[in-house]
Parts: sequence; C-alpha cells; structure tokens
Amino acid sequence: MNDWGGMPVSQATHGLGGLKYDPTKRARPQELNVFLALVLIVFVFEVLNRINGTSFLFNMRDNVDTLFNQQRLDIIVLQVAITGIIALGVTQVIILGGIDLSSGSVVGATAMITMSFAQTALVNGNPNPKAVFGDWAMDLPVIAPIAIGIACGILAGLINGLLIAYTKIPPFIATLGMMVSARGVARWWSNGQPVSFPTDSYASLSNGDILGSATFGFLSWDGQNPAIYFVVLAVLFQFLMIYTVYGKRSYAIGSNEAAARMSGIAVDRHKVLVYTIAGTLAAIASILLTSKTLTAQAGMGVMYELDAIAMTVIGGVSLAGGRGSIIGTVLGALIFSVIISGFTSIKLDAYYQEMVKGAIIVGAVVLDQWRQRGQAKG
Amino acid sequence: MKKTIFAAGVIALLGTTAMADGIGVSMAKFDDNFLTVLRNGIQTYADANGISVQIEDAQNDVAKQLDQINNFIASGVSAIVVNPVDTSATQAMSDAAAAASIPLVYVNRQPINVDTLPDNQAFVASNEVDSGTLETIEVCAQLKAAGKDNANVYIMMGELSNQAAVQRTADIHDVMAAGKCAVTLNIIDEQTANWSRDEAQNMMTNWLSTGAAFDAVIANNDEMAIGALQAIKAANIDMATVIVGGVDATQDALASMQAGELDVTVFQDAAGQGSGAVDAAVKLSKGEAVDQKVYIPFQLVTAANVADYLAKN
Repeated sequence: MNDWGGMPVSQATHGLGGLKYDPTKRARPQELNVFLALVLIVFVFEVLNRINGTSFLFNMRDNVDTLFNQQRLDIIVLQVAITGIIALGVTQVIILGGIDLSSGSVVGATAMITMSFAQTALVNGNPNPKAVFGDWAMDLPVIAPIAIGIACGILAGLINGLLIAYTKIPPFIATLGMMVSARGVARWWSNGQPVSFPTDSYASLSNGDILGSATFGFLSWDGQNPAIYFVVLAVLFQFLMIYTVYGKRSYAIGSNEAAARMSGIAVDRHKVLVYTIAGTLAAIASILLTSKTLTAQAGMGVMYELDAIAMTVIGGVSLAGGRGSIIGTVLGALIFSVIISGFTSIKLDAYYQEMVKGAIIVGAVVLDQWRQRGQAKG
Repeated sequence: MKKTIFAAGVIALLGTTAMADGIGVSMAKFDDNFLTVLRNGIQTYADANGISVQIEDAQNDVAKQLDQINNFIASGVSAIVVNPVDTSATQAMSDAAAAASIPLVYVNRQPINVDTLPDNQAFVASNEVDSGTLETIEVCAQLKAAGKDNANVYIMMGELSNQAAVQRTADIHDVMAAGKCAVTLNIIDEQTANWSRDEAQNMMTNWLSTGAAFDAVIANNDEMAIGALQAIKAANIDMATVIVGGVDATQDALASMQAGELDVTVFQDAAGQGSGAVDAAVKLSKGEAVDQKVYIPFQLVTAANVADYLAKN
C-alpha cells in the first residue's frame, strides 16, 4: 500500500486466499501524485500570471539578474515553515492512528510563557512597557526561553499522550481538552495582554542567518531560519519514520493496533512518546513564531492545528492511520503555500480566497480517494 | 450531607444576589489587545469609583453573549455594558434589556440599531469613520512632503467580517474620492491579513516578490503595519523611502515609531471608552439623561507627538 513503510512485500500466495502480489498493480508512490499536483497548481498560477503579463515563478524584472523570482521562492517555503513544523508532529500522530487538535493552542500558551523570559529591559531607552516579570527575567541568555518553551511543549504532549495511552479516552477528546485548556493558559498568563520586545539574541533565532553562520558564509539565506529548521526537522523525521524502529512501530500501531500489541510492541509507551514529540514540535514552532514576529499574543496559533491537519491530509496521509509520510506532508505544506502566494500574485479578491482554499483542500482528498479506489479495483 | 449541599446552595445564591446592584459587562473577547485595554479601563474606572462590575468573556460567540446578558438581567444588575461580538445582532440584546427596564450601554462597536435605541440605552465609542480618514490624510501629507505627486500604495485589511476593517478601508477610498488626499493615490492591491502581524509579514513579502514599486502601505491596524515593516526591513528597503500607516497606537507600534520605522498611527482611547461606558451606565441607572451617542475622539499620532502617547495604552 505504501512504499515508505520500508517493509518488503511478500511474494508468497499461501494463506492469502489466492491473492497474489502483482508488481504491475503497484501504482506510483503516493508522494509522486502529491508532487504532480503541486507542479500542476504552480503551472496554473504561472498561466494565470502570464495572462496579466506577469510571472509566478520567474523573474520579470530588469534590475535583477536571476532566472527565478527569488523572493517568491523564499516566501513559499518561509510562510509555511512554522505551521509545517507543527504538521510534522501532526503527521506522526495521524500515522499512529491518532489526532492532535491541541497544537495551535500549545503554540499560543508556549508563546506567552516563552516570551516572558525572552524580554529585553530597555526599549528605545525606556523600560520595557510590556514587562511580565521584574528585572530578574530581563535579558536572560537565549537558552533560558528556549528551554522553558520546549519544556512547555513536552509537558503538553506528555499530558496528551498519558491521557490517551492510559485512560483510553479517544485522542480527539484528550487533545480537544488540551486545546481548550492551553488556550486558557495563554489568555490567563498575562490577562490577555501581548508580550513584546524580545532580546536581540532571541529575535535572531528566526530573523538571523543560521545557514550563513553554519557554512561560514558559503550558503547564506538571510531571515529564512524557520524555513531551514523546517527542512532539517523534516529530513530528520523522514529518516526516523523510515529507517528506525521508532517509525516502524508508529506505522504498525496505526495500521493495526491489536496486531502491534500482540507482536510485543509497547503500544502505550510508544503513544506517549509520539504525542510528546508532537507537543515539542508545536513548542519549537511557537518559539520560531514569536521570534519571527517579535511578539507573543494570546490569540496566536488559532486554527494552526487545522492548517497542519489540512497540509497532512493534502500530502496523502490517511486519517485512518498507518499510511502516509513526512515527505507527503512537506509537499502538502508547499501546495498550501503556493495557493496562498498564487492568490496574491493574481490579485484574487480577498473575499474569494478562503472559499477557493477550502474547495482545494477537499478536492485534493477526493481525488486521492478516487485514485485509491481505482487502484484497489485494479 | 444533604443539609450541607443545601447550605452551600443557599450561600452560592446569596453570592449571586449580593452583587446584584453592580454593573454587568459582556466583552466580545478577552484575548484581543485593544479590548483588553478597554476592559482594564472599565475595571480601573469602576474600582476608583467604588462600583462593582462583573466582566464576562463572550468568546466571540453571539449566542453566548446574549445568554450572558439574560443572566445579568436574571441576577438583577443595575445596568449592563456590552461590547458586541456582532454589531448586527444587537437588536435582541436591546429588546431583552428594554423588556426588563435595565439600562444598556454599547461600547466600542456601533450596534446596528444605534438610531432606534430606547431611552435608557446608549452607545459609547470613537467615530470609526475618523480613524481611517485621519490615517489616510496623514499618509498622503507625508507622501507630499517627500516630494511625490503620484503614489503607489498597498492596502492591508483586517478581518473582512469586521465593521472596523470595512469602514477603515472605505475611508481610504472616500478620502481619495473626496480629493482630500494631497497626492494622487494608485492602489496596487488590497488584501486581508486578518489583523495579524504574521500574516501581514507573509503578505508583504509576497507583494515584494512581485517587484512592483510602491510608496506606502496603509494598514487597518498597527499589528499588520508592523508585520509589513518587518518584511520591508528584511528586504533591505530603506525605511525613509516608504510611508507605513496603522491604527491603534499600540505599545509595539509606538516603539516602532520611535525607532523611525512606522510613520502614522491613530490613537483610539480604549480606556476612555471603557470609563465613558461605565459612566453612562451609572447615570442611566440613576435615571439621569445621557447623550445616546457619546463619541470619544480619535487622535493622530506621528513621530512628532509619539512621546505623549507612550503611557496611554
């Protein structure tokens, strides 16, 4: 069914009631279809732009000497990098057969708490007007807010995981509870007041040039740090999901939980681990978001969980569990992003944008279902 | 055991009746920066004048807000202050309060039935038409001062379902149409960034990627203006060559203005609206006459007078 499980498909026919593995029935990998959809959407926007005498992907300016429109390519990765990082965690949870509705609220709560420890004492020479704590919490080394933020994510994910694994309540309910409670924490933390003005070192987490400093200036991509973290994390988790026992257990549990339990997988412990990782990724997203925007607000991250789920589903991850991949989700995120950028580039009226976006999300999944059914019929 | 529960129930009932002669306040939502300043304004003014207020969060839910109002009526408050979730859903609220003869004051958002309010109801806000108008005229003036006669502008709108967003955007067009703008504005594009800094930053980067030359960005609020500024800064465009305007005069916006980035913002006196609403509610509950529309004026903020506003929001 999927090529990314890494398990060889047996050629044996005994015990399968005559079902035989037929290599010709093996369709293209799921991800290739998502990629083709991405190319198609880019092509449509390119054509629509050409009608207006502009271009979606290519550089049409005389004063810049590049083939592609560099800024457009940058923003396409950057604008989904943060929700994309959340989607990496959501993908793992969905492959496990679960769901995580709490990530957007965890972003909000983590943002408020983290930013309170990342503030700078003086703003334009005046005391910080948004100070949450006293002087002791001002100008802390950047590692302090990062550690606190990640701890928030781990805690939220751990609570989700423990509830789901040991009280056996459905993931939908457990994470719905966390969604409501974490949003409550975000609002309560500073009575709804935004927390702003971080230290320079905190601001540089998202706004610096990590690629440049890591490669001694060889590759420089200024202000694109969230995009780089997104790519690095995606590669890391793609590796973990395909080549390690961690990923294989997730696919096994998502495909058939009872069978996984019978074959000796510590299902409950593994669930706690996956939800904790998802919470941690939401916290990382939150740190990058606050660093990028230089502010934390109680309403931050609203609907991010649904954007992340949409990216995952567009990327071919099955909500039934056991099927899909990190690469699929990355492609799903890019489709999401190309749609946003594409609408702006063709100056589509703001009122129509959301209507069309919703239709595209549903359309993508409907197409995928048809394709799978066609495949099953052979 | 039963007795204990009964006693606890009675105490709880006493608890609710005890605050009966206070003012009930239903805010559209708690996690909005501006509304938080307004809410704090209500609380501070009430505390200073020894008035008890019970502030509820309607969580942006029209039905929840109406329930809260009915609960206030049921517990016999002396007056109700409502910051409507949806300005077109206020008729039912006015009717409910009028039927119970409890005074009602709308704050910040103009109810749809503002012209037909019963005698013991009022509306306290700033005249929304002024904010976008002040902002646009000042952006035009600064463009003129920079020696431009024709200017290309981007417009960033708030949530499209919100009256302030629609009004402030209409103001821009009205200023242009009425010839009140010192230069000729050419709108390159107008899109919504949903009041959000992050969305605005992404949108501005998308606009920058089209390569179109622009002279100004007019945003419906400061958060979006700051998002646009962050994108412009990231693209290494000289801040002195573009004019960026917002509305609200938030602390973040004022700091940005002090740093020489944001050029125009408009101060809406949230705390003034909050205290004005409580004041009107108290007067109405005593049977005193109150103007049915109380306008707290908007004030223009630029680099020249930014220092006066640092302590206000």
